[in-house]
Amino acid sequence: MKATARPMRETTEDRRTDIPDLVARAARLLPEQPPLQAFVHHNTLHAFEHLPFDDAVVHAARLFGTEPFQSEAAFHSCVDSGRIQQEDLDAVIEPMAADDDVPLVPGGPTRRQFHAIRLRFLLEVPRGPALSLLLQETDQRVRFTARLSTRRRTELLRQARRDWTGPTAPEPAARALQEQLLGRLWSHLEKMAPRVQVVERSTPRRRDQILAVTGLDPDELVHPLLIRLSAAFLDQGIAYWPMPGRHRGFLGAFRRLYGRPGGPPDRFLRGLGAELRRQEAESWTAERTVVWALTELDLPERDWADTIQATLLSLRGWAGMMRQFEHRPDRSPVEAHPARLIDYLAVQLILDVYAARHAVAEHLGGHATFADLDRLSAHGEATAAPAEVSLELVYEAFVLAQVMPVDTAVLADAHHATAWLGAVRSCDAIERRRLLHLAYERRHRVGVLDALAAHQRVATRPSPRSRFQAVFCIDEREESLRRHLEEHFPQVETFGYAGFFGVAMTYRGLDEVRARPLCPVGVTSRHLVVEEAVGAANTVRSRRHTVARRRRGAWSRLIAVGGRTVARGSAVTFGVGFTSFFSLIGRCLFPLRFHRCLRRLQHGADAGPVTRLAVERTSAEEHGDGLLRGYSVPEMVDLVSAALRTMGLNPRSLVLIVGHGSSSLNNPHESAHDCGATGGGRGGPNARAFAVMANHAAVRAGLRDRGIDVPESAWFLGAYHNTCDDSMTYYDEDLIPERCRPTADRAKRAVAAACVLAAHERSRRFESAPADLPLSGALTHVETRTVDLGQPRPEYGHATNAACVVGRRSRTRGLFLDRRAFLVSYDPDGDPTGELLTNLLLAAGPVCAGINLEYYFSYVDPAGYGCGTKLPHNIVGLLGVMDGHASDLRTGLPWQMVEIHEPVRLLLIVEAEPERLAAILREHPALSRLVVNGWIQLVAWSPGSGAMHVFRHNAFQPHTPEITEFPVVGRSAQFYAGKRGHLGCAHVMTASEAVSSEAVPSDAVASSGPVASSEAAPSETLSSGAASFSETASSGASGAGNGRASAGELARRAVRIQELP
Amino acid sequence: MSAAVHRYLLIAITGLPLGAFLVLAVLAWWGRRWAERTISTVVTLAFGLATVSALVLAGVMACGGERVLTVSAGTWSSPGEYRFDLLLVGDRLSISFAVLTALLACIIGVFSQRYLHREPGYLRFYLLLTLFGAGVEVVALAGDLDLLFVGWELAGLTSALLISFFHERRKPVEHALRAFLTYRACDVGLLAAVVWLHHTTGTSTAGGTAGFAAPAATGNAVLIGVLLLWASMGKAAQVPLGGWLPRAMEGPTPSSAIFYGAISVSLGPYLLLRTESIWAGAPAVRIAIGVVGALTVVHVALVGRVQTDIKSALAYASMTQVGLILVEIGLGLRYLALAHLVAHAGLRSVQILRSPSLIHDYHHLERAMNRPLPRTGAHLERLVPGPAQGWLYRYALERGYFDAWLRDHVIGGFVRLVRRADSLDDRWAQRLSAGRAPARTGLADRREAVTAGHGGSPGTRRKGQES
Repeated sequence: MKATARPMRETTEDRRTDIPDLVARAARLLPEQPPLQAFVHHNTLHAFEHLPFDDAVVHAARLFGTEPFQSEAAFHSCVDSGRIQQEDLDAVIEPMAADDDVPLVPGGPTRRQFHAIRLRFLLEVPRGPALSLLLQETDQRVRFTARLSTRRRTELLRQARRDWTGPTAPEPAARALQEQLLGRLWSHLEKMAPRVQVVERSTPRRRDQILAVTGLDPDELVHPLLIRLSAAFLDQGIAYWPMPGRHRGFLGAFRRLYGRPGGPPDRFLRGLGAELRRQEAESWTAERTVVWALTELDLPERDWADTIQATLLSLRGWAGMMRQFEHRPDRSPVEAHPARLIDYLAVQLILDVYAARHAVAEHLGGHATFADLDRLSAHGEATAAPAEVSLELVYEAFVLAQVMPVDTAVLADAHHATAWLGAVRSCDAIERRRLLHLAYERRHRVGVLDALAAHQRVATRPSPRSRFQAVFCIDEREESLRRHLEEHFPQVETFGYAGFFGVAMTYRGLDEVRARPLCPVGVTSRHLVVEEAVGAANTVRSRRHTVARRRRGAWSRLIAVGGRTVARGSAVTFGVGFTSFFSLIGRCLFPLRFHRCLRRLQHGADAGPVTRLAVERTSAEEHGDGLLRGYSVPEMVDLVSAALRTMGLNPRSLVLIVGHGSSSLNNPHESAHDCGATGGGRGGPNARAFAVMANHAAVRAGLRDRGIDVPESAWFLGAYHNTCDDSMTYYDEDLIPERCRPTADRAKRAVAAACVLAAHERSRRFESAPADLPLSGALTHVETRTVDLGQPRPEYGHATNAACVVGRRSRTRGLFLDRRAFLVSYDPDGDPTGELLTNLLLAAGPVCAGINLEYYFSYVDPAGYGCGTKLPHNIVGLLGVMDGHASDLRTGLPWQMVEIHEPVRLLLIVEAEPERLAAILREHPALSRLVVNGWIQLVAWSPGSGAMHVFRHNAFQPHTPEITEFPVVGRSAQFYAGKRGHLGCAHVMTASEAVSSEAVPSDAVASSGPVASSEAAPSETLSSGAASFSETASSGASGAGNGRASAGELARRAVRIQELP
Repeated sequence: MSAAVHRYLLIAITGLPLGAFLVLAVLAWWGRRWAERTISTVVTLAFGLATVSALVLAGVMACGGERVLTVSAGTWSSPGEYRFDLLLVGDRLSISFAVLTALLACIIGVFSQRYLHREPGYLRFYLLLTLFGAGVEVVALAGDLDLLFVGWELAGLTSALLISFFHERRKPVEHALRAFLTYRACDVGLLAAVVWLHHTTGTSTAGGTAGFAAPAATGNAVLIGVLLLWASMGKAAQVPLGGWLPRAMEGPTPSSAIFYGAISVSLGPYLLLRTESIWAGAPAVRIAIGVVGALTVVHVALVGRVQTDIKSALAYASMTQVGLILVEIGLGLRYLALAHLVAHAGLRSVQILRSPSLIHDYHHLERAMNRPLPRTGAHLERLVPGPAQGWLYRYALERGYFDAWLRDHVIGGFVRLVRRADSLDDRWAQRLSAGRAPARTGLADRREAVTAGHGGSPGTRRKGQES
């Protein structure tokens, strides 16, 4: 790229524009989504995090053509349904109270009143021709708008009569009065309406210009070819015959292929072959090719940056994937091809040059040049878009002047009319949606914070002698499992810890072909842990197992891949074509039964071998891949002690460590349902590794040296929770010492029962699950979803996530959070310096915010930020999905995953004093950026007093509770039964009150009937307890409560008792 | 069993889906809306009963030793000496195909109930599926080429409408239009064949075991045979008309499965099998059919190998097998062809329905094999010499350049011709209206403006090519 390598590009010219720099800058706007196998949730607008949330969404909306907030209509239906309440609307316009003594126009509303009315008044202003039609063809301009209150109508008529100019002899008719008043109003407003130049926002790309001038879209020519090429280059194994010459990079491979003579006969590609050959002969770099193309397109250098950005964004999914391969080759599923974004840009620009030339020649004649385009479009702009009165604004002001309490005569004054129009303009659609969004979030925030506060008052703080302890991922889907476990088996203590349990490892399972990192995206794994088969007795069995599996694998591969070729295809067709009808009928009509049959056929004969994780590092040798084999004992001690201290976990007897993941069919986004903390992997191995470490004798000794005493009797048991079918897998069960076995069995029974209850609870969100789904049918229902080829919603994943509570479980135990809160265990007592909290927030904050924001954006604009409906999705290259045949690579989440979401920003509640949080924010700019710019809502929850402070306007401001009602139920099922929508919080007594252990039959679940028929709540004892409780509470009698909080006390605290459903 | 029962069973096969469609469509027209479950139950039930009817009929006929069952469901119209009967024929061929169609439609109906749950176009999907099924049953059972044509058109129309199911996006609509135009162009062949058959034999009705009457002159038989081949090439996506098939993968996955994996592409071979008696006497037609099939197999086997998205790969796989079926038909292996057709429909439907689980399956496969999946296509690279490889790969990636030829040289040529005529028209109008400035509306408008702007000294600036 030195001057000598650039004979044509003037050596004399001092090139100021640095192409790689421009590409890098444009690249920040591209989607960050890696190949689907390693789906990791992240903030869709990551590139805008330096801006405040409100500005960022609006800015991005303009750039990408997307929606910043939910639609106004959606918010209004929330107002109607009570999801947004009057206090919320009042609160969001509160800041306007400061300068609110002067009305906008004499006798009219003040700015705050104006907003208050405007936010509640949904007015759809048609745009452009639709508005002209409305004004010309309907009586909008001579009749009062239909939505006037009677009082306002009378008032307007009074004004009309007062200002009436005309014969008064016969009392003027209402029609004439209306007509005159509105006529005047319209003309006053129209006269004073600001004239605005309608500027079509367009980029300097030639394509936009050509489209505007000729109506022909050169991208229609370029994109199909570019999509084919990109897909062929990045393909990970779908194509039978991979693209030749991929080692040369994208540009090199393209030149080799399309530089051959006898190229494609497309008219627009004429001359391409010769040009590519020339470029290859002169060995042009990508950078130089880009410069050539931009010069060829006759673009001034000042437009280059914008052109490059617009060009890359025109097919941003593919461009983004090229960038992912360039930056994170380690995340490519099978093979990392040498992709570079600048190569891709060069290819796109070369094709752009040819397509643009072709379009110009085709439409303007063979002799036309790009300069003609400039002339034509400049000419066009000057005549087509003179400064015009914005009819939309006038119309909006016109209708609002009728609706709002304002004297229409006042607007005759030019000054006042301008003020009125100004007020209308200042509360434009974006501003209204912003305010409504704030109100929408506020209701949720108030609901959660007040419930937390109320819960503290209701709940007693028992310190049950726990029979076992269980550590789950912080994932909000585990909230229900934890709650049900505590309800069902109150002698359990549960904890939440990021689902990789501090074990940031690269892992290779026994069956797996390649190792993959199982740690958060921001963390680089330095340890490799391998699963190995053990025991001599196992080898024969394991070999048989392997051989059988291989045979099955080879067979299914023959059908899948060979079925697409000619000879093998025919053989396969005749061989299994007829039997595929059985598969078709089985899969479609009886998915679960068919799946189980297949399973039995496959696994009946041979179970897998016994395996162990090679966690401990035995030798210090390096293997050249930068990964250490396993962990040394001190490393393990560090890791385990950090986890125990952070959670405040004092191991007693049995500690379950439960990782999670999800497995489903018909779901290209399967890995988006896996554990975010393991970087889109399944957290089972991490849990298993943690348990192995914590059980290690040397590690125990090390812990003792650090003052953490793990009693001899304690045992850690790793497990894996499949969130899709709510099944549990336990690891290394054969190692459990004899003394722990009874506890382990009891724990497993309890967890299994909790899984049933949790499955039942989440089934209520599936519309296809019957409202009276019996408890016994819950597992079958969710299991069917997992194996059903026709099921686009195997689970709802993180949908509805909204809050994150960092604190002791004892403060949230027994609080129904509707599977909407990440629960991070943190013991402020064991953290005098705040160091543990800092680490927690740095890890959990961005992860939870990433999940939350991705759902926010995919919900708010399913087509622009999300990847639309799943139904036509087509997997390409094993890395992503396209819409149908050949589209841009679709990033974001499919609608079926997010459809029940509530788009609110994460409410991060931390059990810490505001001062401590403020100090942490000061020291960590990355976290501070998220909080200060409003990408998450941070709340400090004082560990001592329980006071709450919400971070707003750069400071922690005290939160005053306003909701006085707080439902109390016996069991969760009583609260959610029969309901589909979002539920608020509730106090669940069973989990938080110490119940004598005999009252809880731990295996009651299996025998119980449908939950909806109320008494069938899993335990009879419990529901009768709840019933008696509600009786005593409502009668106001005090002191009845078997040692629980007295009912009278509860009644005094204005706690509303929820009757059994 | 009595003839009346046979009659009702045969009519039920087409009548049930048609009835279900009419009930749903007419009530929907009057603004009636149902629960999703009701819609899918009606449709599934109709196809389920049709399957049962067809199976019972097949059983009864097999037991009774009957080979052909002909039933008249009434007369359409009888202009002059012609009579257009609504004639249904049940024989081994038509009943097998009818069972296949009804069964697949029934299964897809059940499947889509979950797949399309909460989709705004739920009713539309089921209406189109039902109408398509009814249309195909008409094609399958028609004992009269006129009636067959009706079913043929219904199948074509509904499949185009299902491609554009997501009509809020541009591409599905464009691709639907493309499929629709291909169908239309090819339907001309069927129409012409029917007309010519009427002209030469006086009837287009199948009579007894002999099937359709063949025209006496071989020339006529060849002509009709070739027209029928042309008609079937569109639906069966054969070279060079197959470009629409991969593009048709725009609708919801189950519709892609039944249409482009199974039934719709099978209609082409089925038409040829059905009308075999007409062209059986003309070897030229056999050869033509075989050649078209073989060319398709060669072309598609190459192109399909480089497809990187699963639905296109499966679409090409379908074309391969359908091409082979045509070869079998050309060779006169009609039972083999029928078996191949049925087996292929089943296999491909399963594969397309499973295609969204590809990533999941890939992992399982890798884990089962316990090694990275072996690289495919290596033998191609060994066999084909280096330079030819690039050429061949580009040929495959560009799908044989058929699209470019079609767009730029066939349709493009036509458009350019029209444009030239348009500018000629302008010039003549100018000359005739000498002096008065005519209102020019033609396409040439813009070009003139540019020429004028240049002051008559136009010149291109293509630096890159000059240096």
